[in-house]
Amino acid sequence: MLPAEPMEQHLTRLRHAIATSEALVDEARSLALGLPAVDAALGGGLPCAALHELSAAPVHLGAAAGFALALAARSPRAQHVLWIATDFGMLETGSLYGPGLDLLGLDTTRLLVAHVARPVDALFAMEEALKCRALSTVVAEINGEVDLTATRRLSLAAREGGALGLLLRHKPSDAPSAARTRWDVSACPSVPDELGGLGRTAFRLSLLRNRRGPCGTWTLTWDHHERVFAALSVGVAAAAADRPDQALSA
Amino acid sequence: MWLRRLPTDRIRRSPPEPLVVASPVKSALRLSAVNDAAAALGLRVGMALADARAMYPKIAVADADERADFALLEAVADWCDRYTPLAGLDPPDGLMLDVTGCAHLFGGEAALAADLVRRLGAQGYQARVAVADTVGCAWAVARFGEDRIVPAGEAQNTIAPLPLAALRLHPETLEALSQVGLKRIADVLDRPRAPLAARFGAKFVRRIDQALGRDDEPIAPRLPIPAAIAEQRFADPIALERDVLGTIEKLAEKLGALLERRGEGARLLQAALFRTDGKVFRIEVGTSEPLRDPARIRHLFADRLGVIGDEFDPGFGFDMLRLAALMTERHEPAQTGLAAPDHTQELAHLIDRLGARFGLRRVTRLVAQDTHIPEFAVMAVGAAATCPGRIAARSGALQTRDPGFLELKQPGSRISGAPFHAAPHPGHTEQDSNVPTRPIRLFARPEPVEAVAEVPDGPPVQFTWRRMRHVVAHAEGPERIAMEWWRDEAGQMLMRDYFRVESHEGVRVWLFRAWLNDPERSTRWYLHGVFA
Repeated sequence: MLPAEPMEQHLTRLRHAIATSEALVDEARSLALGLPAVDAALGGGLPCAALHELSAAPVHLGAAAGFALALAARSPRAQHVLWIATDFGMLETGSLYGPGLDLLGLDTTRLLVAHVARPVDALFAMEEALKCRALSTVVAEINGEVDLTATRRLSLAAREGGALGLLLRHKPSDAPSAARTRWDVSACPSVPDELGGLGRTAFRLSLLRNRRGPCGTWTLTWDHHERVFAALSVGVAAAAADRPDQALSA
Repeated sequence: MWLRRLPTDRIRRSPPEPLVVASPVKSALRLSAVNDAAAALGLRVGMALADARAMYPKIAVADADERADFALLEAVADWCDRYTPLAGLDPPDGLMLDVTGCAHLFGGEAALAADLVRRLGAQGYQARVAVADTVGCAWAVARFGEDRIVPAGEAQNTIAPLPLAALRLHPETLEALSQVGLKRIADVLDRPRAPLAARFGAKFVRRIDQALGRDDEPIAPRLPIPAAIAEQRFADPIALERDVLGTIEKLAEKLGALLERRGEGARLLQAALFRTDGKVFRIEVGTSEPLRDPARIRHLFADRLGVIGDEFDPGFGFDMLRLAALMTERHEPAQTGLAAPDHTQELAHLIDRLGARFGLRRVTRLVAQDTHIPEFAVMAVGAAATCPGRIAARSGALQTRDPGFLELKQPGSRISGAPFHAAPHPGHTEQDSNVPTRPIRLFARPEPVEAVAEVPDGPPVQFTWRRMRHVVAHAEGPERIAMEWWRDEAGQMLMRDYFRVESHEGVRVWLFRAWLNDPERSTRWYLHGVFA
């Protein structure tokens, strides 16, 4: 039986209930990058228990993987990290290399790597893994399309389990997605030391979509000893204080 | 149990018309099997096919196929698993079932035998079953006897009137015996054994002893005997996946209780589903740690069924389900911590579930190895098997055809007791760079690139990778890595000079110059890995 109240009012009430429940999730943990400008745009850090998309041009895939691994390295160390990739993707971009990951700051004893045959298997594995409370970060590398339904499922799974879900997309896409944020990552020339050697690992991050805040572009470096990000030069964050969702997250 | 007409039943189950199977014996086609209708016409095994055709020109003839007969026998043995897990093959047309301790489940030995004959008969097989104290006695009675159930201790009296052929003797021995007038088992039972053994062979005496239970004869089970089993029969067959999984969970509870009493958990589980038409599905799942939890076992089978998909055809349903723990391990109940939630269980379950779906080998951990060669410095090991001491280390000689690509000639992996937390990479010193000295991604096969260096031993100034030209902004190196001489059987002395290189766009890669083993000391460039 329909309730006595008019349909319009009923919908408003439901919307409010959904907004409230989502706001509750906002109070959950977030992973601070340690860089005030970026953390401010994200409202305190990259929210855990949510799905985030990373994409990169083919030549910058190494940088995107590095950024995802750096985030995983910053996640709570008692929990594990799962990296999911297709066999084809591993051939195409190279397989994760243990010694390098250790040096980057991610302890490989925390890392599990799942190899799957098809992109759809990667999505299945990611959904299952996100529901698991033993993981702090789940990264899936997808070479292909991911539709709205899939990202919605992944978001719900992440909310249930509390892990940080990172979807590393080999093909940048404008398709609608339920992910909380969407980033474009590219490698950035480092500032060489006085001897002319390579400088700290540097990324250029473009926050293309952010459901709860402004977008922007920043250039960061990664200190693999201290496991912290630092600013190479601070980009200009687009002012977006007039967005309606600001009121809720503030 | 004797399947009297196995070769003909294989071709057509209990046909009313005569059917014979012929096979070449000494360059002539002879009948190797006949069915009941053909036997009634006077056709016998061993008769030449030409004679049979002369008597009955229209008789149906099929070629003998021993392999197919054997496969059928195995299928029937699989099906007999419903009576006892201890079923052995007795080719060409017999099965041995050890029903000790199982018969009461079917209402006694006679009821079990009747049920077996009835069910096989319904499927079109003609079986003769005998239950006796010894394998030899049962064999003899099934083929030559009248009374099917031999009471305990009656073996000697039962087989005494049977012909000697009932003792499973070689045809030549039989012939020799009949030449001296020995035809029945009773004829030899009372004779002195030494002359018999001297004349007809020790095997003959052993056969007598086996039939009488003086000599032990074990049944070799076809399938491994599970450590623990639980089973459920249904009056009405079930076909829905939901019901199957529900039953598995219920059986898992029983099995779990059984294992708990022993302080064990299952590492390998098998569900056997007996379809009403006799087909048996066996589904196995492995686990990463000893497991007893019914809900988790159910999940694993649900995932496994999801992968099997359409091949899993319930047909008209299953009338019996059995869950068996094929491998078990010690598993003591652990004290759960009060302070922090412990997620180890949950992680193990996730590994199991992904393993059930994709294969346990595909969920891996990276384990450091004790070598300088970059591509062998790490090995992916199944996450389910990562306890210290169980990690198989790579050993063996390296070989190469292409200077960029090394292969490990493996004589077989050895088990190393190396600790899981291996030492940091031997070739690396942290101080020498602002960036990690090893890439985050490594290509299994280094990719050849076109690179240009200013000086013969110097770093590259530009390189072309996957048809894109990159101009080098900064480079660090060289870091020389030579082939480990103790693995270098062919004496190829392979050397690589590695450079960490950053392009103007910021792309950081790991390049190496391979020194070829030729008089000109020529070189070739490869890209081996990608930095963050």
